[in-house]
Amino acid sequence: MKNILLALILMITPASAANIEVALTNDRVEVDTGFAGASLTLFGAVTGLDNPASVDIVSVIQGPQTQFKVRQMEKNNLIWTPGPAHLIDSAPGLYLTYSTREIDDIAPLPVQDRYRLDADYLDIVVATHAPADENNAGLYRSAFLSEAEDLGLYRSHIGGIEFKKGALFTITAGLPANTPVGEYEVAVYLFRDGELIGSDVAALAVNRVGLERRIYDFAHQRPVSYGIFCVALSLLAGWAASVAFRK
Amino acid sequence: MQLYLPIAEMPVDPFVVITMGAAVGFLSGMFGVGGGFLMTPLLIFYGIPPAVAVGTEASQIVASSVSGALAHLKRKTVDFQMGGFLVAGGAVGSVIGVLVFRMLIKTGQIDTLISVSYVIFLSLIGGLMLWESIRSLLHSPEEKQKHARKRRSPTWLAALPFAMRFRASALYISPIAPIALGFIVGLLASMLGVGGGFIMVPAMLYILNMPTSVVVGTSLFQIIFVTAITTVLHAATNQTVDIALALLLLSGGVVGAQLGVRVGVRLKAEHLRALLALLVLGVCARLLIGLALPPPSFFIVDGL
Repeated sequence: MKNILLALILMITPASAANIEVALTNDRVEVDTGFAGASLTLFGAVTGLDNPASVDIVSVIQGPQTQFKVRQMEKNNLIWTPGPAHLIDSAPGLYLTYSTREIDDIAPLPVQDRYRLDADYLDIVVATHAPADENNAGLYRSAFLSEAEDLGLYRSHIGGIEFKKGALFTITAGLPANTPVGEYEVAVYLFRDGELIGSDVAALAVNRVGLERRIYDFAHQRPVSYGIFCVALSLLAGWAASVAFRK
Repeated sequence: MQLYLPIAEMPVDPFVVITMGAAVGFLSGMFGVGGGFLMTPLLIFYGIPPAVAVGTEASQIVASSVSGALAHLKRKTVDFQMGGFLVAGGAVGSVIGVLVFRMLIKTGQIDTLISVSYVIFLSLIGGLMLWESIRSLLHSPEEKQKHARKRRSPTWLAALPFAMRFRASALYISPIAPIALGFIVGLLASMLGVGGGFIMVPAMLYILNMPTSVVVGTSLFQIIFVTAITTVLHAATNQTVDIALALLLLSGGVVGAQLGVRVGVRLKAEHLRALLALLVLGVCARLLIGLALPPPSFFIVDGL
């Protein structure tokens, strides 16, 4: 940690234009059997400004791009059943933003749109099951967004950004327990008076590790062997239990 | 504390899961039933994806049937010939069940199918059991003698071709009957995550007319093979067997079952059956309410 701070201080050279730089304390988040979410610390520096604390920072953490299906529940006589699937070809599985203030106060809407500073601006295209449903594409899109928000996967936070000594700042992001594994992009944007004056990105990987990963890989790469392994383990566990309780 | 399940891909509280295993183990020890038909709905209520609940339950039933099966093997109360036909039918039923399961996962209808099948299955069984136990609670023992079933196979069974001798069961019947029975049980095992002893034991007693002494051993023999086959098939085609979840449930289950057996011997059989019937109907009602009430969210997003 000290080294990173030192490196950041060295990075700050009296450049002419203002800019922002970011680095992760750990560019790898490991999801193991005990994973209950993780705290991610981003270190950054604002360069080329006399009073760095007077600017606004927005950070967007998003990834991995995945395929989704949206189904509408339909009433079928007595019971509710899921209807046909509408495909979302690509959308981030996690989308978190952190900002120093309300994003609407930081940047005007066209700028928010250009840099996708809110989930509403993401390119989420719904391919409807039948052409007749096309008018409802917007409905499925907002259903996806609200579901993602309910699960804590799409969320915007005000705060979490702390200015340290002078030009240095930290962003503390909380990855939820249901964070999907994959490649992420961590972007920071520097704003002054509603204008973007600098940005930087860093990569982040969320990986399965440990026993959790081994079981997952085993089950998906060699499913037949995994099935036989499950049966063998069950037989063994059942036998061990019967021996343990035998008088 | 949280534990991330590798196949269900969700965090769970391991103590809650172990307690669930213990509770169902207690009931299955007390009532002398397998418990799969209670465990699978309970896992669904807890939030485990229904497909994973079914696949995982199959492997848990393998584990919880081992001690009983071993005991019956030692006492030589297994009709291997009958068991073989039951397993053969069960294997075919399991293959078809898993294929249907796969198709329904693809079309997104699997959760509904599991819940609806459970409602039908539990309401039939719970209703029959309640009826039986109310009758036996109302009638005096002398009357019960009168009402006692005559042990005679139905006539259509004798009409089936290829009749052969089953020495351990002292029967001369067509193997088509046990194959068909095994088939139905295999379908139930693969689609509902149950052992099927519930259906198999009465069918062996009252339809196949097997002697009581070999019925439980032979049904356990069938269950252990068919649930093992079902586990492998689910793992191979649907990747829905979560071994971590199965082991958690099992660790609670073995302790619960021991306690349940001890409590069960102190209760009257009629009372036990009425209690179990009420429990089964309660689970059924809960599932039905879940299906009939407007869902908490009118949209389902696969992949989130």
